[in-house]
Amino acid sequence: MEKRQDRTAGIPDKDSPRRFPLAPVLLLVFSLLFFPSPQAFALQLITHPDTEITEINRSTARAIFSMRRQVWPDGAAIRVFVFPDKHKLHKAFAKQLLGVFPHQLRRAWDRKVFSGTGQAPDTVQSEAEMIEIIKKTPGAIGYISKDIRDESVQILEVE
Amino acid sequence: MNRYRFSKWSRRLVLLSWLLPPLATASPLFGDENLQIHGFLSQGYTHTSANSWFGDSSNGSWDFRELGLNASYRLTPQLQISGQLLSLTAGEMQDGSLSLDYGLLDYHFASFDNWNLGLRIGRVKTPIGLYNETRDVAFTRPTNFLPQSIYFDKVRNLELSNDGFEIYSDLLTDWGDLLFQGGMGKPVTDKNVEYAYLGNDWQGELSADLFVFGRIMYELDGGRIRLSATIADGDLNFDPGPTDPFTDGTIGIQLRVLSLQYNAEAWHFTTEYMQEDVINRDLGVFRPDKDSAAEGYYLQLAHDLFSDWEIIARYDVSYLDRNDRDGTKQEAGPFGIPAHNMFAKDWTLGLRWDVTPAFMVRGEYHWVDGTAWLSLRENNPFQTERHWQMFSLLASYRF
Repeated sequence: MEKRQDRTAGIPDKDSPRRFPLAPVLLLVFSLLFFPSPQAFALQLITHPDTEITEINRSTARAIFSMRRQVWPDGAAIRVFVFPDKHKLHKAFAKQLLGVFPHQLRRAWDRKVFSGTGQAPDTVQSEAEMIEIIKKTPGAIGYISKDIRDESVQILEVE
Repeated sequence: MNRYRFSKWSRRLVLLSWLLPPLATASPLFGDENLQIHGFLSQGYTHTSANSWFGDSSNGSWDFRELGLNASYRLTPQLQISGQLLSLTAGEMQDGSLSLDYGLLDYHFASFDNWNLGLRIGRVKTPIGLYNETRDVAFTRPTNFLPQSIYFDKVRNLELSNDGFEIYSDLLTDWGDLLFQGGMGKPVTDKNVEYAYLGNDWQGELSADLFVFGRIMYELDGGRIRLSATIADGDLNFDPGPTDPFTDGTIGIQLRVLSLQYNAEAWHFTTEYMQEDVINRDLGVFRPDKDSAAEGYYLQLAHDLFSDWEIIARYDVSYLDRNDRDGTKQEAGPFGIPAHNMFAKDWTLGLRWDVTPAFMVRGEYHWVDGTAWLSLRENNPFQTERHWQMFSLLASYRF
């Protein structure tokens, strides 16, 4: 508990995990109202703050989110976090950042999970939950809207 | 007939599968993020106008059930252990008994920016074409029954998994990804293999020698276009019993498959082509030495409707002997087996509804000309009907 309080001490209120994440939700609602296409979301990859790399190319990002890359260059385990398949941010993420359709990711995960050749990513429900889990899980990677700035996680640029 | 036949293992697995999802979801709470548990449970209903497929289907059969439960654990970032238990009920072909579908150690020993390399040891799923490795998981199949030209259910165990090893590697480039899997192992054969290649369950035993297999796949844009070539090669050895008509001989098998898939946002086109050499040697006068080749292909188009429905159409063609496609030579031969047992042309139309991400229902209708892929365990080839139709309904749950 103490540790968590320390970590959140310097972060603006809107990102506190205990509060309703009003800003992203409002943004989502407005985006839905005015831009029904999922392309309307701008997204960014985020990692645990101790991750060494700060830049990644698209095909490696695709391999990580297809669960075909298990370790970071320093040998730490990669932990992948995503939103549910039908989540607006997940759809936008798959298309914009990875250049794939969400159904392609689902099929890749199913092939891994049911042939014993890999595992599925873990699912989170909200951006607040995503930030919270990324910052406390070494080796974690996930994604959030671009307009959220949270210094407790590291941004991974896609080349 | 054996309707609602439910082995004790099936019952246990059903029980487990209802108990485990809450546990699996709870596992991160216990702090073990390295463990994952997944499974599936499907029940099918099959009705045919004639002939038998997955049970006494001309009277309507419920003898189609798939239960699977798997666990995987990351021992270290590079080492994973995983296994899956499977109970499959498929008419006279599979009795629902429990088997180890795969059980392996996966060591991911090198990982670089744009390529990686790893090794899997144990019981490994055989990589054949686009669908084989997860063929028993209804969610990952395009239809309730996979195209039988390539994914034969009557001899599924020859293709299913190998006791051995496989090396895997992928190379990421700007113009697409190359994925390779190749290895050696003994296919886990069963009585169905003997029925398919020797026509009966003989006193002796038909067992598989070491097979070599490999598949190379090219994927553009994470799978928008998928192209692959598969090869599997090995021998089956017959060890005759005292009253068997065949002698101590071999059946050499080489399977080659080419696959192409194009995935657009709401359209999926898939086609695969297969050749299988079957080389009989030293089996005696009733099965003279002979080289033949089976052949098959299908074309399939699927379209996503709204977000939860998918409609699919397919034309699937199988020939047991590509030098006797219409079966006339077989019919003129010493046993006079009716010609239509040598081919099958299957038009399929199906509709899938994903009620929730974890629950799915699919119905499909088949118009079939020929009986090549029916099992001799369920049908007498002299009594099969050439033109027949099938309706199949399947519900599946996964976690």
